Amino acid sequence: MVTERVQVVVIGGGATGTGILRDLAMRGLSALLVEQGDLAHGTSSRFHGLLHSGGRYAVKDKEAAKECIEENLLLRRLAPDCIEPTGGLFAQLPSDDPAYAETWVKACAEAGIETKELDVGALIQKYPVLSPKITRAYSVPDAAVDGFRMLWSNVNSARRYGAKMANYSKLTAIHQTNGRISGVELTNTLTGEARQIECDMVINAAGAWAGEVTTLAGLDVSIIKDKGTLLAFNHRLTNQVVNRLRPPGDADIFVPHGTITLLGTTSVSVDDPNSFKTTDKEVQDMLAVGREMMPRIDDYRIIRAFAGVRPLYQANKGAGGRAVTRNFALIDHEQRDGLTGLISIVGGKFTTFRLMAEKTVDLAAKKLGNNTPCRTKEEPLSAPQSAEMLERGKKVFGVPGAKKAAERLGEGFAKVVAEAEQDRAKRRMFCECEMVSAAEIEYVADDDDSKTLSDIRRRTRMGMGTCQGIFCSYRTLGAMSDHKQFTVTHREFLAEFLQNRWRGVRAVLWGQQLREAQLSSEIFCTLFGMERMK
Amino acid sequence: MNKKTDVLIIGAGLSGLMAAAKAAESGKKVTVAAKGMGSLSLSSGCIDLWGYDIDDPQQVCPNPLAQIARLGEVNREHPYTKVADVLEESLRCFQGITARYGCDYRDNGGANWLLPTAVGTFRPSFLAPPSMAVKDLDKAKRIVIAGYEELKDFYPEVMAANLARNGNLPESVNIAVVKLRCAWKKLYATTLAHRLEQAEGIKEAVDQIKPHVVSGTVVLFPPVLGERLDIDVAARLSAALGAPVYEVANIPPALPGQRLQQLLLKHLRNMGVDVIIGCTFTGAKTEGNRCLQVTAEGAGKTFTFAAQTYVLATGAFVGGGLDSRIGAVREMIFDLPVCTLEKWASGEFLSMNGHGFNRFGIAVNDRLQPLDEAGQVCLENVRITGANLAGANGPIEKCGNGVALASGYKAGKLAGEVPS
Repeated sequence: MVTERVQVVVIGGGATGTGILRDLAMRGLSALLVEQGDLAHGTSSRFHGLLHSGGRYAVKDKEAAKECIEENLLLRRLAPDCIEPTGGLFAQLPSDDPAYAETWVKACAEAGIETKELDVGALIQKYPVLSPKITRAYSVPDAAVDGFRMLWSNVNSARRYGAKMANYSKLTAIHQTNGRISGVELTNTLTGEARQIECDMVINAAGAWAGEVTTLAGLDVSIIKDKGTLLAFNHRLTNQVVNRLRPPGDADIFVPHGTITLLGTTSVSVDDPNSFKTTDKEVQDMLAVGREMMPRIDDYRIIRAFAGVRPLYQANKGAGGRAVTRNFALIDHEQRDGLTGLISIVGGKFTTFRLMAEKTVDLAAKKLGNNTPCRTKEEPLSAPQSAEMLERGKKVFGVPGAKKAAERLGEGFAKVVAEAEQDRAKRRMFCECEMVSAAEIEYVADDDDSKTLSDIRRRTRMGMGTCQGIFCSYRTLGAMSDHKQFTVTHREFLAEFLQNRWRGVRAVLWGQQLREAQLSSEIFCTLFGMERMK
Repeated sequence: MNKKTDVLIIGAGLSGLMAAAKAAESGKKVTVAAKGMGSLSLSSGCIDLWGYDIDDPQQVCPNPLAQIARLGEVNREHPYTKVADVLEESLRCFQGITARYGCDYRDNGGANWLLPTAVGTFRPSFLAPPSMAVKDLDKAKRIVIAGYEELKDFYPEVMAANLARNGNLPESVNIAVVKLRCAWKKLYATTLAHRLEQAEGIKEAVDQIKPHVVSGTVVLFPPVLGERLDIDVAARLSAALGAPVYEVANIPPALPGQRLQQLLLKHLRNMGVDVIIGCTFTGAKTEGNRCLQVTAEGAGKTFTFAAQTYVLATGAFVGGGLDSRIGAVREMIFDLPVCTLEKWASGEFLSMNGHGFNRFGIAVNDRLQPLDEAGQVCLENVRITGANLAGANGPIEKCGNGVALASGYKAGKLAGEVPS
């Protein structure tokens, strides 16, 4: 068996792990990122996609609020293609404590978060979907962030500095010699093959799975696993993030993303980090709260419900749910447990991933004798698309298609445009909802990191729009035929793809979405007999 | 605007059009009014009656009529049990009409056809138009699957990969894929169908396919062989290639369904039926257990229709006859009680049990009159047809168009018997 060697193995392909990988690589440390599924298959793609201004935490968690606003402003500059600077607002209803507004405004000012009181009448005129009962409203610099794109930008940038990434690789053992980390064993979750890696250090950035990782080293880190359910509306209800001006609670944030809006979330303690199931009651409870802010919410179509698990960390056990700090903790297991070479970074939130990475790598670098300073505050994640390439893209994919592809593909865009220029058939839009061309699907399918068809879905967003994959899943079969790494049969592919979509759709099965579900069963069962396909 | 008619059919899908055709035969004044063009264009264009064996649902049913006759023993709520008495005559009537317009829907001697689809599965169906009634595919020496490079929704390689896996084809059969090029820039099913109605479109296809045709070849096409009913593109291609050419079922837009709709509409016009499309029904006025009139909006006008008999053929959720909110389902015109199940959907999308919501609908008696929870007739001059009926599991049983055809026929027949 070949044994590979790197200085640092990072566990967890979420925002924190990919941020750490990039930081390590930029400081010249050799590193490998290990992810059990696809990038962001855990919490970093299962959240509301809010780049916090910090306003939500200002009153209760000033430290967290300060970090949020600083990172928010930084990331807008460093990764503009991952962020939509929508701005946000906090609105108060008659049932909310009116005194909270004063406390909140003051706390925001202290944390450095700019707020501005808005004319409520004008606001409701601008967004008639909002409740006419709103008493006060303030703007804040919230934004929407595409988690998936941010993570890939991190990894792509890290790779340019020589870092490596292994997805579909589960950590199955941590090796230690004389109280010192010496390596890890990884098992490929698709092939079952084991792989040994020698290293000096393991950084545990596994989020909700962080406790599972330290258990392999014989140590205990207690993570509170807190499930949050979200609803996706098939409309952009407002152009700004909408928060409720009151102490944080369930279902009080609406975040616009592209053409949709996410409503989140709940907060329920769970035992298993893989608890992604939503219940009818959660969905209905959320709608009940959401309706207070947007009374006509039931007239809008909901395309799916999904859940993610927040990894919360509380050094001294006892608190739970919303009482637990959203702050992060860096655990030096050398100091705490006497095991040299293991660091855990736990808690925190997406907005502050870069800062968490910086602090973590500061500690790791010091231990490895590396004095290079952190540069992730200065260097942008990716170079902007050239105007010339965008023009060429527009000619083959049309204006909206080219824009979306350019945002998704980064450097790959040039290659995809060139392919489509060569071959007219590749200009076909396989996914009309998200404007994904045949050329883009081919490009992603060719990539070594794409190991399953769901990877193609996550990287292109094919199948994630309004129709939830009715048409494009079938079209992707055509693209599969030329890529032999997808060893599944067409039956398996379609079943898996449709089932993944169905999980989210089934929780919101009424109105227009029930219509779509009936159409899907007409197409895949009545017309194609998929339920009996071999 | 007030309209008076003997029979008002609401909905222009298969069941509504059949109801109109049958009611018109009796000399009644018949009006069809519908919001849109109905969902026939979403269907395969074939008449699926009953696909699989009642006792062994993995086995294709060899004799659908005999199985449906048995259905009363195992599932008394199935809509077929309300129309079993007219099932065979409804099929004969349908075949008679289609034959009159040169598109004779063919049966397979009482057995199901097993017709290939675009993903390479085989679907059991009872009646198929000539362009789809593939004969003896298992005896072919060579199957040529012809697809257009730029047509978005047909992948001949996918079909080829699955044909052998899903059909009882001998190993010796040679399956070839031909990717056609078309001189047109944008290729949609409808534009392609139009092109194939022109001589140059046929020539373009024949020139590219011909080299792949040997003796014993069957050529399979996506369902794009012509938009119009009176131009038999499949026959033209067959003659030019010297090999039988068929089209296979595919995702919408599927032209065989549209052609059937055109055919039936043409027949209705010839029978003097008034057809009004673009009418959104808003409600009904009732007295006791009779409907007095229904109202609709369309083209900036408000219509009221008064009739002896009303046929509700508005479909389920896809058709728009039913709508739902969390935990509640509504019939949109008469506000009739809808039978639902506690479990709306299965956990698996491709479950062999299907989904509860596909069985939702209105309970009826043997005269297709709507019933309330106590089994009493709600409105005695309203008849319910097609996907509005409760109890069928169409996507799994493969009976949607069969139920629509037979129930539409029966509703039309009953309407014709009502004394003026």
